[in-house]
Amino acid sequence: MKMKKIVGFGIASVMALTMAMGFTAAAADYEECTLKFAWWGGDSRHEVTQQAVNAFMEKYPGINVEVNFGAWSDWESARALEFQSGTAADVNQINLSWIDEFDSNGDVFLDLNTVSDTLDLTQWDEAYLDMMKDQTGQLAGVPVSMTGRVFYWDKTTFDEAGLEVPTSLAELREAGKVFQEKLGDDYYPLALGEFDRMILMTFYLQAKYEKPILADGTVNMTVEELQDGLDFIMSLEADHVIPSIVTIDGDAAASLDQNPKFIDGKYAGILEWDSAPKKYMSALSEGRELVVGDEFTDFGENGKTGVFTKVSLGFAISTTSEHPKEAAMLINYLCNDPEGVAIMASERGIPESKAAYAVLEEAGSLDPVIAEAHSKVMAASEYPEVPVFESNDLKGSEGTYRYVFGGLSYDEFDTEEGAEELYNGMVDACEG
Amino acid sequence: MKKWAKSNIGFFFIIPWLIGFLIFKLYPFGSSLVYSFTDYNLFKGIKETGLMNYIAVFEKRQYREALIITFKYAFMTVPLKLVVALFVAYILNFKLKGVNLFRTAYYIPSILGGSVAISVLWRALFKDDGLIQQMIRMLGGNPPSFMTDPNWALFIICLLRVWQFGSTMVIFLAALKGVPEDLYEAASLDGAGKWRQFFSITIPLITPVIFYNLITQLVQAFQEFNGPFIITNGGPRGKTTLMSILIYNAAFQKYDMGLASAMAWVLFVILVFFTAISFWSQKHWVYYADEE
Repeated sequence: MKMKKIVGFGIASVMALTMAMGFTAAAADYEECTLKFAWWGGDSRHEVTQQAVNAFMEKYPGINVEVNFGAWSDWESARALEFQSGTAADVNQINLSWIDEFDSNGDVFLDLNTVSDTLDLTQWDEAYLDMMKDQTGQLAGVPVSMTGRVFYWDKTTFDEAGLEVPTSLAELREAGKVFQEKLGDDYYPLALGEFDRMILMTFYLQAKYEKPILADGTVNMTVEELQDGLDFIMSLEADHVIPSIVTIDGDAAASLDQNPKFIDGKYAGILEWDSAPKKYMSALSEGRELVVGDEFTDFGENGKTGVFTKVSLGFAISTTSEHPKEAAMLINYLCNDPEGVAIMASERGIPESKAAYAVLEEAGSLDPVIAEAHSKVMAASEYPEVPVFESNDLKGSEGTYRYVFGGLSYDEFDTEEGAEELYNGMVDACEG
Repeated sequence: MKKWAKSNIGFFFIIPWLIGFLIFKLYPFGSSLVYSFTDYNLFKGIKETGLMNYIAVFEKRQYREALIITFKYAFMTVPLKLVVALFVAYILNFKLKGVNLFRTAYYIPSILGGSVAISVLWRALFKDDGLIQQMIRMLGGNPPSFMTDPNWALFIICLLRVWQFGSTMVIFLAALKGVPEDLYEAASLDGAGKWRQFFSITIPLITPVIFYNLITQLVQAFQEFNGPFIITNGGPRGKTTLMSILIYNAAFQKYDMGLASAMAWVLFVILVFFTAISFWSQKHWVYYADEE
């Protein structure tokens, strides 16, 4: 009898709790549901995003969020298949190029204007929202942050070499010689993979010739100008400023932050996104200090930087989501809600949402390193990045950048032939 | 009706497998042939049909090179693996102390060999300043750069495949145990040494198993993906890019399913060709005990 009472009480309690949750959800004007949320990033991003998701679930009982996160490697192809097969997460962290690549017909990402009563779009500048529109004019996502590349220097290694961190190309070249003489052949002031080389070369060309490398859907540099850029990059290799691609390949590391030579300070500089320093800082061995560098102004004669910026990443809702309103609530919580913003902080860069920026600034919780890097990038930015710059045909593992810069480093061809290959590859990519 | 059901009862038992086969094997197999004659892009659909993908496979330097590298890989790994597996199986067929421990130890790489973790370990072993280079230096040698020298890079991915000889070895071991002891005894009485016995008795009697291993290893070698993808990702400069990697890149990086399907079909036809040659050749060298 006693047992029956206990069981009865238990069942009644569960029913009451379920009803209460239902009422809470109903009162808050949302449906109980399970959402899926997918993002890529490093460990620190995973940690804070999970915290924010947990806080969201506490704030909105009845909404359960299942998370799927991982490193960038092969992330894009896995998500692409989900978009194609209609099994994508409700909320997706997206790259700007995904809008063109996967959503050209506007049928992969939901037009966020349809959920603007839940997602406060007024927090973003119209110009930034325009960047997230697909070819049909629908708003495919909201931009989380703007980003560009900036130098980060391992100050500890520069101290060991008796040098200040470089603030100009001339100082960087000088550092190459000093590193080799004082520290040894294994030490380089800067390490650049194939895509990093393309970015630095673009800075150089845009600053020197004072025009964007891509404009109006076509290549805006001549073959000769591209050859000048390739000569510039190869001169850095020759001057012991950067290790060759052969050397980096020999390291057999999946990425620079996993390369022991970077971790131990032998590669003492990187050119990275302003939102990405934390994974490099946490990778460095104990006692080493990574500092934000200045954008160079001595590529050309007129003090230009050639720096370009782009939307770092965005949040989008899949058209297949059965709960777009609740998905929009999640995005709004992460981007605009003071509670969510405080947890997310600047893990995805300095937020472009005005509400988020105000919250973080007032709380003094903008990451100082990211804030410094971001302010330097935005101050130096002269051009917007054209999405085709990062298209798979150019940036992919069989892409033109890898072929050209690797081929030069492996001495398979000279810069004249490399420039032809680069030009043709870029033209093909522009023509789609 | 009842009689029909009774005589075809086996068919009902294989229905689950049959459904899986039709949906997950036969349908993709057939549809990939159709796609191979189109420019089917996962996100842009089909705009053009024709032979352009097959022309690209044979015209573009990158694809021709990958075909050659795939041949090199297959024709290095298959014979090496068969020889190593047969040699170790032959040793382990002797009545040695603790032989079961050795058999287990040699089989373990086959369980681990295809895993991502082992491929990562392989990369760590052979990278510049990795364990292998350090050991060679300790012995006073001047090691090559295994990851950036094209020949060495191909060799180390072949080595991983050869290292996974356990399954092949177990099959050889079973075959060796099936060779009648009295044949060896008779040969000994006639004065045949171990080598003569091996080549004149053992080898001929296990040729059906050699043939089986040859076919399965050939198929697996042409389809190899994990090791080369993780260890070298086709590098340096595409010198370890097998066809399987190009198929993967075309399908899942460029979403060019038409091209990926065409490459897969070229690979399939090559495999069919070599399998057919192997089957044709068996009448010259494979001995079946039940043959007249």
